[in-house]
Amino acid sequence: MNKSSRGVMTFKGGIHPAGNGKELSAGKPTQTAPLLAKYVVPVAENAGKPPVPVVKKGDLVRKYQLLAEPSGFVSAALHAPTSGEVTGIIEVPGSMGVPVTAVEITADGLDQGEAPFEPLSDWRDTDPARLLERVGEAGLVGMGGASFPTRVKLSPPPDKPIDTLILNGAECEPYLTADHRLMLENPERVLTGAAIIGRILNVRRLFIGVEINKRDAIDALTQLAGGYGVQVVPLAVQYPQGSEKQLIKAITGREVPSGGLPMDARTVVQNVGTAAALADAVTLGIPLVERIVTVTGAVVNPGNWKLKIGTPVIEAVKFAGGVTGEIGKLILGGPMMGFAQRSYEVPVAKNTSGILLLPEDEALNYGSGGCIRCGRCVQGCPMHLMSCALATAIESERYDLAEANHVMDCLECGSCAYVCPARRPLVQHLRRGKAEIRKRRTAVKK
Amino acid sequence: MSYLALTVGAVLVNNFVLSRFLGICPFLGVSKRVATAMGMSGAVIGVMTIASGITTAIYRYLLRISLNGVNYDLTFLQVLIFILIIAALVQVIEIMMQKLSPALYQALGIYLPLITTNCAVLGAATICVKDNLNVLQSMVFGCFSGVGFALALLLFASLREKLELASPPEAFKGTPIALVTAGILAMAFVGFAGLC
Amino acid sequence: MNDLIIAGILMGGAGLVLGAVIGVFAKLFQVATDPRIALVTELLPGANCGGCGKAGCADFAKSVVAGENLPGKCPVSSREQVAAIALALGVDAGGGFPKRAVVRCGGDFEQVTRHVNYNGVADCASAMLIAGGPKGCRYGCLGLGTCARKCPFGAIEIINNLAVVHEELCVGCGTCVAACPRGVIALVPANAAAHVYCNSPARGAEKRQVCKVGCIGCRKCAKSSPDQFKVDGFLASVNYEADPLPGAAEVEAAACPTDALLTAERHLFIERNEPEGVAK
Repeated sequence: MNKSSRGVMTFKGGIHPAGNGKELSAGKPTQTAPLLAKYVVPVAENAGKPPVPVVKKGDLVRKYQLLAEPSGFVSAALHAPTSGEVTGIIEVPGSMGVPVTAVEITADGLDQGEAPFEPLSDWRDTDPARLLERVGEAGLVGMGGASFPTRVKLSPPPDKPIDTLILNGAECEPYLTADHRLMLENPERVLTGAAIIGRILNVRRLFIGVEINKRDAIDALTQLAGGYGVQVVPLAVQYPQGSEKQLIKAITGREVPSGGLPMDARTVVQNVGTAAALADAVTLGIPLVERIVTVTGAVVNPGNWKLKIGTPVIEAVKFAGGVTGEIGKLILGGPMMGFAQRSYEVPVAKNTSGILLLPEDEALNYGSGGCIRCGRCVQGCPMHLMSCALATAIESERYDLAEANHVMDCLECGSCAYVCPARRPLVQHLRRGKAEIRKRRTAVKK
Repeated sequence: MSYLALTVGAVLVNNFVLSRFLGICPFLGVSKRVATAMGMSGAVIGVMTIASGITTAIYRYLLRISLNGVNYDLTFLQVLIFILIIAALVQVIEIMMQKLSPALYQALGIYLPLITTNCAVLGAATICVKDNLNVLQSMVFGCFSGVGFALALLLFASLREKLELASPPEAFKGTPIALVTAGILAMAFVGFAGLC
Repeated sequence: MNDLIIAGILMGGAGLVLGAVIGVFAKLFQVATDPRIALVTELLPGANCGGCGKAGCADFAKSVVAGENLPGKCPVSSREQVAAIALALGVDAGGGFPKRAVVRCGGDFEQVTRHVNYNGVADCASAMLIAGGPKGCRYGCLGLGTCARKCPFGAIEIINNLAVVHEELCVGCGTCVAACPRGVIALVPANAAAHVYCNSPARGAEKRQVCKVGCIGCRKCAKSSPDQFKVDGFLASVNYEADPLPGAAEVEAAACPTDALLTAERHLFIERNEPEGVAK
């Protein structure tokens, strides 16, 4: 029932970005980045409360040592990506345009440390509660973008039964290939992670959704999947296939109710990168301190690098051989939902899936016109909203109208702005509307 | 004249606002929000029905009175006496409503007294007399004239709520674009001409 | 002649009868209402323009008496009329002494660095959500004109990406203060002539990097007149409770090295005449 015309699973709505830029980096093996002299590990997470640093200037730290401990339930621990000296708790430019606190570590060049947790190689027999505890200790967060603490996501309230786990390997964003390379090179880590999450949640239905443009990754996963009780689901190449709600609809046919969470559809969705990091945390006992990042766009040598958390973006760009020509925009994440940056000093965080340098001519500086009511954004919206009407309402500050028309369900996926022939900055309008409505709701609560 | 022709004529063909151009003041004044337009519409329908009935009765039985075999023709006092009666009627209704139905009184608010000066009500009364309708016919005509007014007002209010979100040139913002819209709406109603 | 008499009798009679009827009904269906509503309605212009957002003056009067609106919400009433209503009800007209808005930032595109090439929606709240807008300073005016569009009196002008208040048009209603997502605009006493055109609590060196006219916290002003200026961290401000408030002479004496402290008149002049007019 969710089949596309080509016989693979999909959802209704969405867009098909042409020339998706994945060919720049998809064919190249992941490289390990050389050790840098200095790392700035950002403390603030995008979702939840920031953890509290437990080290101070002058402390010597070992690799994997705890740098900051969670400050509440929705908060994740932070660990040292390498050994060396803490040379300051400083402010660095954050990925959201506001400065964030970061722990600056001057590496001693040895990159030494011991796994802080006991490896649980017999995880198939380990108490699920112990596994969940490990997820928290290792500071795991959603590595797809939202950076939501995984521990919280894997502890659904008792009144929300979960029967399905979906691993998100769709990677529908153009340009990004980090998850693709991970699934191709380390399918066993991804599948182990899936099985462990399945054990924690006590679910039998385990799926991995992968877009069919990653045929080799699907093959690699399918060969091993049986042994882990996981089913690999090929998905249509359609944006935003990798959005939680669309993925659930495509694979299970269930719909997450308006304003609800995946658990309202009895489902948990995890990024494949998170699953692989989770497998490491359980089987090897090491926390999350590095991740695969796609460095692509207008660089000499685009590709995927295994980068330590806290690597400044400028260094990552150097690994890729530096820039070619004039850069129009630096984006962390993909071109659709990623955030444009104002500084190359931004450090790589746990949720940085890509570093995209758009050349001047691709980062168009265009003027936008009025809405011509063509309705293309309505067709393209995966949440079946009327972006055009919402944007005009928000422009005239009729937040009540926007709210009544469910602007809060907007994913900010950018499909509407992508297809708009008048080039209206629809997502930006909708984001402002959402921010304003959220502000009003909290004001009412007070 | 059949009642069907009377009603269809009052609502569509000779719509008070869009064909006869009566009651333009409240049409422009209280059409910014659909909710307030509804309140005004309800009040106008009520007042028009009662006022048309009473004025016709007054016209027939008081202004053309015959006393002691002498026929007096006082119809030249028509407009004066109609205004007097409508004003008094609205006042009485308002006073009664305030006591009997405070909720409705609140909902109608300022619109009820505004109707006193609404030419559509006087227009309905005058047309009833001109067309020589009896009291019942007058009330039906008044009622459906009110419905026609309500139809035009609600259509226009809905349009204006949409217009508010549009971005016309600076000089057209507000009333100018509303008047242009009203003109186009009136042209659309010309399409009903000849229906009955 | 006969007709005339009959008409007179008829109209007079009708008037008497209807008047009596209304009178009887008014007595029969009498409802106690707050006499203050009638009083306020009397004091309002009676234009029923709906500019206040209410359905006519009587409705507005009701909301004022109920305390939902301040008398100053009526855009047609003059200051004196508003004051009369406030006096009659014993409520605040909208804050004691007359106020003026001041945009506490001098960072137009001549003075402040441009950090990113912002090409999104020209609205300050929107820009705040994307990398904090085009300017290098994180605390200053974004210059996209949300306040100018919201100002009901057209008192704010955007000059070279900086909002500047025209004092003679500003009535101190505070609409712009609420509209500014950076909190750069403040309401100050209307008779204050000089202001510190900087809102950044950042360190002096940091401000120096991004802005030529930011307050660097050198304390020169506070030293020259400790009562009239105060410095909090790296940000000086005019003490608006001082009596007398600082004027052109005190600004001259303070000799602000970055021209963050200026009289409003001078500030407007500089903004208007840049870049060729005044060398800084």
